[in-house]
Amino acid sequence: MSSVRSNGGTGNPVSILIVEDDAPTRWRISDALSRESEFSVAEAATLGEARQIVNASVPDVLLTDLQLPDGNGMELIREVKQRNGTTEIMVISILGDEESVISAILVGANGYLLKDAFPTDIADTVRNLLRGHSPISASIARFIVRRTQGGPGTNSRVSDLNTAKLTRREIDILWGIAKGFSYADIADHLGISRQTVPGYIKNIYRKLEVNTRGEAVFEALQQGLIKL
Amino acid sequence: MTDTLTIARPRDLRLPTYLGLQLIIMAACIFLLQLDPPRPPAQYQVLSAELRQDEAVWLAIALPHRHQRTRTDAPPFIYRMSFERAPTEASQPWAIFLPRFTSGVEVAVNGATILDSRLNPTAGRVDRNIPAIAPIPSALLRDGPNEITLRLFVWGPLTGYLDTIYVGPDTELRSSYDKRMLLFQTIPLILAAWQGTVGAILGFIWLSRRHEHAYGWLAAAMAVGVIQQFIPFPTHQILHGFLGASVPLESALVLHFAARFTGLKVSSRLGWFVFLPSLIILAASAIGDPEVVRTTYMLLGPASIGVFVVLTAVILGWSALFRSERSSFFLGSTLTAVLVFWVHDALTVLDALPGERIFLGRLSYSVVLIAIGIGLTLRVVRALNQADDFAGRLFRQVRDAEEKLRASFAREEERSRKEALAAERTRLMRDLHDGLGGQLVSIVALAEQQHGGSATVIGDAARAALKDLRLVIDAMEEIDGDLMLVLGSWRERISAQLRAHSIQLEWQVLTPGGLPIFPGLRPWHVIQVIRLLDEAVTNAVKHSGAKKLRVIIETIHDVPEEASGRISVEDDGSGFDLCIPRVAASPAHPRTGRGLLNMKRRAELCGALLTISSGQQGTRVSLILPSHFGTTPSADDRDGAAGERH
Repeated sequence: MSSVRSNGGTGNPVSILIVEDDAPTRWRISDALSRESEFSVAEAATLGEARQIVNASVPDVLLTDLQLPDGNGMELIREVKQRNGTTEIMVISILGDEESVISAILVGANGYLLKDAFPTDIADTVRNLLRGHSPISASIARFIVRRTQGGPGTNSRVSDLNTAKLTRREIDILWGIAKGFSYADIADHLGISRQTVPGYIKNIYRKLEVNTRGEAVFEALQQGLIKL
Repeated sequence: MTDTLTIARPRDLRLPTYLGLQLIIMAACIFLLQLDPPRPPAQYQVLSAELRQDEAVWLAIALPHRHQRTRTDAPPFIYRMSFERAPTEASQPWAIFLPRFTSGVEVAVNGATILDSRLNPTAGRVDRNIPAIAPIPSALLRDGPNEITLRLFVWGPLTGYLDTIYVGPDTELRSSYDKRMLLFQTIPLILAAWQGTVGAILGFIWLSRRHEHAYGWLAAAMAVGVIQQFIPFPTHQILHGFLGASVPLESALVLHFAARFTGLKVSSRLGWFVFLPSLIILAASAIGDPEVVRTTYMLLGPASIGVFVVLTAVILGWSALFRSERSSFFLGSTLTAVLVFWVHDALTVLDALPGERIFLGRLSYSVVLIAIGIGLTLRVVRALNQADDFAGRLFRQVRDAEEKLRASFAREEERSRKEALAAERTRLMRDLHDGLGGQLVSIVALAEQQHGGSATVIGDAARAALKDLRLVIDAMEEIDGDLMLVLGSWRERISAQLRAHSIQLEWQVLTPGGLPIFPGLRPWHVIQVIRLLDEAVTNAVKHSGAKKLRVIIETIHDVPEEASGRISVEDDGSGFDLCIPRVAASPAHPRTGRGLLNMKRRAELCGALLTISSGQQGTRVSLILPSHFGTTPSADDRDGAAGERH
């Protein structure tokens, strides 16, 4: 499925929409991706501009900042997800802080891109994403597994992060990632094939995703009312 | 239907079982009664005697001899008998041994009195079976026939009785006497002392636990038993009365005990009624002459004792059978034994039994009382143990509850501390995100657009600042001593940094799970450790020209039983001179020296051991972490946090 879209220049290039209000940042990300012939990059500085582009054509990849001058990037993620479920979405984050990233994951994002990431890393991340490898950072993995524990430091009673659906193996994989083990190490340790690890991670994202058709849940997420 | 049958069966079996056991006990007791007390060899017995009927009229009789009636006030019976001593036996001392007589004797050999049992008050107690022995002074003895004159005094409720007497060498007779004394004097005395002790214990138990009536009744019964043991006979008339009343009183008290013990409800009128026989006997002694006392006792004593013992046995048997009380089962069985001895004694008093007049009822009664007393004492001890256990359990429970409460307080405190930290972190993160973070990203982006020169330096600096910012935020999250969780994020950060400089990162975790959990690991420790490692990586990136950087993480056991961790950063670069002052002055690497100093200080702040080796093959920075991190940050920590960035 993903290989159809990353056609390596033989067909239509992959359309990417970058939504970022800080111009220098937007440019550097855009530059990093435009360099590659396989990508066709569109830019938007506001939610309004982004909506216009999405209305015209839903992109294959959406990279969006969450704090936009005229609204929250989460709204855009949700709208795009509703229009086209196959669009790969990433959040552009300054610090990769879990609170905003996890909120975005809950509405359908598959990870985040740091604003100061090196150009080559940016292109690689997007390519991996298209290959079906949802990136997950150690801090995000840590954030999720610590909520599966319900131990000290987490107040599981008020956490609405739905970790109950995660299997033991998925949690083990998250622990491995949180502790900096490579996919290969994790696979060896758990006795699974190395190629299956990205699939597990994609599953984890899907399980965490909330049903955003419920307006109340989305509103609460946006306003930070739901405890993660 | 089947159910009722199966339930009924044990009870159906229980009665035959109980009765069968009682029969076995009775048989054992009867067998015991058939055993004769020790006697000297038969060759020394004197079997024939003459009883004086009147002045100078002697009637030949055979020993043992019984009189048909008592003569409490009458003059004694006088016996005359003779024995031979061979001249060859003159060398050894001789004695006369009377195994059993009632109630008192005075013995004269060849006209000289050598024994008067009345001088020994306990020997007068007919219920004791006390024997008598007296050495015959050799001056009195003649070769050939010698004459014995024996006066038998009769008192108490019993008729006169004289068993076979033995005359012979003292050594031949003495051992039988000693054995009988052991059986009928020493052992009863020991039992009495024992009974007194157990009775006193039960009395004290009752005094401090007044609701345990059974203990009180049994203690009273034992007290009566002990007192009567030490009353001599003959003695004062009132004491005679008490002696006669003692056993009915004792058995009445035991009956009360049995009723209380089995929880039987007894009306108080009936309860007092059982003391009537003993009161009547006592009253008779106060007014009447010895004959009245004797008659009253003979009428009431044995009969009431028998009734009470039977009643006690029945109550205990009933409890054993219908309440399945194991202790009642045991007590009931002992009472059966007493009952057998009592029947034997009663028949003996009535002269209905042949053979020696040996009374064992009293003795068996003492044994039973002691057995009951020990049982009760054990019950108290067991109850005390249970109480102790209970108290211990309660104590443990309270302590556990206290600990849980304390732990829960501590947890609550810890939780709120962590929540506060998390909230602070979130707030800080938002601030940094909106302000500083955005600015730094803009600087990075702008610097990149300028291409080369100072712009690159500015960009790198801004990127380093962002990296540090992420470290601080990362370190602030609670990780519960699991440094691996921080190293995971650090790996992501340095891999981006190393990728940009085309340095390959080799990440090796040598021990499963990586590092142990470090109790006491706090965010400020984490910041020091990660900055130190950052410094090592930055040195490698900037100054070594390395193509490969290896991070090795392992658990080590330098101190036995205490796991610690080591993190090493190795590069394959050109290395540098470790002599810090010179390096610091070296224009080629102006910052390396400063960086090394910073690393050393950070290691010291955490109590970690830092070793750096550098050479042509590269540099190796090895950090051995303490198994326990210190609790308070040092004073110059702030200074450290504001340390040099590259």
